[in-house]
Amino acid sequence: MLTTLLQNVINALQWGSFYSMIALGYCLVYGVLRLINFAHGDIFMVAAYIGFVFVGFLLKFMPGSGMYGWLVLAITLPVTMILTSMLGVFIERVAYRPLREKGAHRLYVVITALMVGLVLENGNLAIFGASSRKFPEIIDKVVFTFAGVRITNLKVLVIVTAIVIFIFLQTVVNRSKIGMAMRAISYDKFGIPLMGIPVNRVVVFTFIVGSSLAAIAGVLFGMSYPVLDPYMGMIIGWKAFIAAVVGGIGDIKGAFLGGFMLGFIEILIVSFFSSNLKDLIAFTILLIILVIKPTGFFGVAKSTKI
Amino acid sequence: MLEVKDLKVRYGNIEALHGISFTVNKGEIVTLIGSNGAGKTTTLLSLSRLPKPEAPTVVSGDIIYNGESLLKTPPHEIVSKKKIALVPEGRHIFGNLTVNENLEIATYALEKGVDVKAGYDQVYSLFPRLYERRKQRSESLSGGEQQMLAVGRALMCGADFIMLDEPSMGLAPVLVQDMFKAMKVMNESGMTILLIEQNARIALQFAHRGYVINTGEIVATGTGAELMEDPEVKKAYLGG
Ligand SMILES: Nc1ncnc2c1ncn2[C@@H]1O[C@H](COP(=O)(O)OP(=O)(O)OP(=O)(O)O)[C@@H](O)[C@H]1O
Ligand SMILES: [Mg+2]
Repeated sequence: MLTTLLQNVINALQWGSFYSMIALGYCLVYGVLRLINFAHGDIFMVAAYIGFVFVGFLLKFMPGSGMYGWLVLAITLPVTMILTSMLGVFIERVAYRPLREKGAHRLYVVITALMVGLVLENGNLAIFGASSRKFPEIIDKVVFTFAGVRITNLKVLVIVTAIVIFIFLQTVVNRSKIGMAMRAISYDKFGIPLMGIPVNRVVVFTFIVGSSLAAIAGVLFGMSYPVLDPYMGMIIGWKAFIAAVVGGIGDIKGAFLGGFMLGFIEILIVSFFSSNLKDLIAFTILLIILVIKPTGFFGVAKSTKI
Repeated sequence: MLEVKDLKVRYGNIEALHGISFTVNKGEIVTLIGSNGAGKTTTLLSLSRLPKPEAPTVVSGDIIYNGESLLKTPPHEIVSKKKIALVPEGRHIFGNLTVNENLEIATYALEKGVDVKAGYDQVYSLFPRLYERRKQRSESLSGGEQQMLAVGRALMCGADFIMLDEPSMGLAPVLVQDMFKAMKVMNESGMTILLIEQNARIALQFAHRGYVINTGEIVATGTGAELMEDPEVKKAYLGG
């Protein structure tokens, strides 16, 4: 009984980690631009494919096991982060910035973001076709057993990574210059150029960080659940987005904890009901939370954003 | 130092300034007075080169600063390169940052090697209240303190030309006096000031020269004392 419970906790932590890493991307961009980047889930998907292609490329030169496997991962992660960031910055540049400069209404921006997502999905479909791809196995699986609870090295990696990312982001946002600019812009965008700071520099930085997080999540997700398809970013992206909103979008801690909250809710439902009901019940719970507390769990109406 | 030449600007299709010209010389306090909707804020936003949609578009005319046109300068460079700071209408301080952080963020665009500490010292000696509240979230400041902070931020930017948009707005009379005295101190230490006011009496009293703006046009100019004696100005802006 206790073993099952702990096993579930570990699964919840793993899924929560994925949701959190993606939710943080929504949160950062929202905090800085008040823009819900609906393409973010698809950026995550593209990142998984970039990782897939790049790992395939590396495996031509080195074996995907033992120390080499970790080396493959160590090279793939930064490369995927860079390429995904370039995609994120490109999207910002061609899709969002022109609208911002014209002062377009939010509605148009949201629709643009949704369309960017569709372009990414269908672009991917055009390149890789409809059949799903299998992410190669690069890390030798090690299973640790504590008191009957099983946890793989990969799960540990996922959970630790999510926590490290969170701590890193908190540090950047609270202690660095650019982080202070991000906090400031979330409160008053008008004031930023008056301080001699180019608004677009802050925006680009934000997209780089958000996309890099999606890249890390994408590669780790590909390694954990190796079947990739062009629509994989859609559901997980929506879920992460909702988790971010429930946590209090615009607040890093909120997005992070929101992701884990969703992970736990889902796993709890699966262990007590049928997994068919998982999304229905999970979303209903989130909906109720939002109705009761529209600013989200940790969001304080307008003040502590980012 | 600053020369605005026949500047016409519009918001969308509506022309808000119909060709205004004025100059500000180094070391001066020049005030632009006018009633609601006259185009005062519009003038400052145009000078700051802030982007649309917040700010108006220049249709014709020119803004010459130290011999160079500002029309192609991006807004952050107006501050970081040209050293012109704006204390905007509505203050726009960063309420989620502390007082000290608000001052710190104003130093980010400064060149390396600038003495930042001297900046803090100057601001905190000019506005001791800010020093008392330096660790406080700035949205918890009173209106007057927020205004001081907005001015302090402009000083931290390393500007030698400051434009202030109605610094007296919403302040109690004693605070208005304090604010103008602080401006005087700043001016005496070499700061050139372009001051926008609805409170014409106090503005003309402190300024070397003034311009009167009315529905997008300059309608009168002179020294502070001259404008104060001008019958039209008296009637329209000084309450008879
Ligand atoms: N964003 C905007 N879009 C369209 N018209 C605007 C905009 N901002 C100002 N205006 C118009 O431009 C004119 C000048 O406005 P401005 O804000 O410069 O006045 P002001 O002199 O600063 O007045 P106040 O003393 O009330 O601040 C007004 O007629 C105003 O309605
Ligand atoms: Mg105004």
